[in-house]
Amino acid sequence: MDSKTILLVEDNADDEALAFRALMKNNIANQLIVARDGAEALDYLFGTGQFSGRDVNSGPQIVLLDLNLPKVSGLEVLRQLRANERTRLLPVVILTSSNEEQDRLHGYDLGANSYVRKPVDFNQFIESVRQLGLYWLILNEQPPARR
Amino acid sequence: MSGQTMDYRSHEAPPGSKAERSAIENAQRATLNILEDFAAEKGELVRGQRATLNILEDFDAEKKRMAGAESAVLNILEDFASEKSQLEEFQHSFLNILDDFSQEKNQLEGTQRAVLNILEDFEKEKANVELVNAQLQVEITERKCAEEEIERTNRELRGVNIELETFSYSVSHDLRTPLRSIDGFSQALLEDYSDKLDATAQDHLQRVRRAAQRMAALIDDMLNLSRVTRCELHREKLDLSAMAKSIAAELQEAEPGRRVEFVIENGLTAVGDPQLLRAAMENLLRNSWKYTSGHPTARIEFGRSEEHEKHPFIVRDDGAGFDPRYAERLFGAFQRLHTAKEFPGTGVGLATVQRIVHRHGGEIWAEGAVEKGATFYFTL
Repeated sequence: MDSKTILLVEDNADDEALAFRALMKNNIANQLIVARDGAEALDYLFGTGQFSGRDVNSGPQIVLLDLNLPKVSGLEVLRQLRANERTRLLPVVILTSSNEEQDRLHGYDLGANSYVRKPVDFNQFIESVRQLGLYWLILNEQPPARR
Repeated sequence: MSGQTMDYRSHEAPPGSKAERSAIENAQRATLNILEDFAAEKGELVRGQRATLNILEDFDAEKKRMAGAESAVLNILEDFASEKSQLEEFQHSFLNILDDFSQEKNQLEGTQRAVLNILEDFEKEKANVELVNAQLQVEITERKCAEEEIERTNRELRGVNIELETFSYSVSHDLRTPLRSIDGFSQALLEDYSDKLDATAQDHLQRVRRAAQRMAALIDDMLNLSRVTRCELHREKLDLSAMAKSIAAELQEAEPGRRVEFVIENGLTAVGDPQLLRAAMENLLRNSWKYTSGHPTARIEFGRSEEHEKHPFIVRDDGAGFDPRYAERLFGAFQRLHTAKEFPGTGVGLATVQRIVHRHGGEIWAEGAVEKGATFYFTL
């Protein structure tokens, strides 16, 4: 795999560690960027705040987005992503504990590409990550980059 | 007649003498006089006769006139008689009319009396109604108060419901997260430090993992149960036979190795919420599938009972069944009649089905025996 970057937006340190572990187990040795709240995620994606000066055209190729985030919620991050011309087509997978209908509805409504519930069983989680990686990073054709 | 009166007795004349000739001349003259008188009489008689004839003629004419008059009178009498009978008829009808009239009059008087009674009753009723109205006013005021009370309660309930929603949300989200950590890092330990952990240590960690996963399952089931009670019921006409067939197909696909015969009655429909009823059917059929897993072959039926008066739907299997002594616990939330080793499960499936059935205004009950299968009956 060439330099495909994954942006993981996750506030829980344990979940972050487990996600990283799962990605490693699946040899998805991509560059993993972690944003620990919604504001940080937006800063990274738009090259603002602590990430000003970053080349925003260099990725990420996929965003794994939790919904319950401090400062700016996952849905708000998604809304702003979709509102911006440059990031409007960026693939976003909502990866969250909640399976509430409301969340799923809002997620898809705001333009998420996929909605995956984090399983408690870690083996299942590893399998989910494997499938996500296989699909989004290998099988799925990325939208063309806007210049 | 001449004025001479001949007295024959006193003057009898000798024969052939002049006295005799004068007596004969006198007799001749007297006879001539008598003949003259007689002629005169005859003439008078004739005249009289003519007069009589005239009178007779007149009389005849009169008679005819009288006969005519008589017929006329008779006709008049006839007409009179018929007029009389007509008059009598009129009189009869008139009398009848008078009769009817008097009857009508009586009826009218009766009606008049009735109307007067009605008016009296009406007055009474009016008084009653006014009384009732006054009572109703009081009731209305009371009811308004009650309604306001209900509105207040409803607002409270809505508030509580919102709290419940928030609670459920945080339960689903926040409780699972630490569970994930427990399971994940136990697994990490097992994998990364397997050489440093003996069999007991590994067993401990496996138990930790299993417990975390079980807790997650419980949380999910609890959430489902509360969702069933909370959510709105949408009523639609549903084909339960098709639903059962679809669930049966899913079960068979997931475990193609199992030999299970599904006997599903066709054309069974019901009115209810599609999501909830599907969840109920899935729970029941999945249970049957699960509790027949111990047998090499199984038979699961879905149909409608003809014998039972309420014509409930039935889901029957010939699997492990249950001890009917513990039947009350069957529908209790988290109550189980088998250990987790025998059959996995959290014990909330039937509680969920019961709640769904009750929300549809129906009943649910079960029959069973150990190792003789179980039959679940429900109405909607």
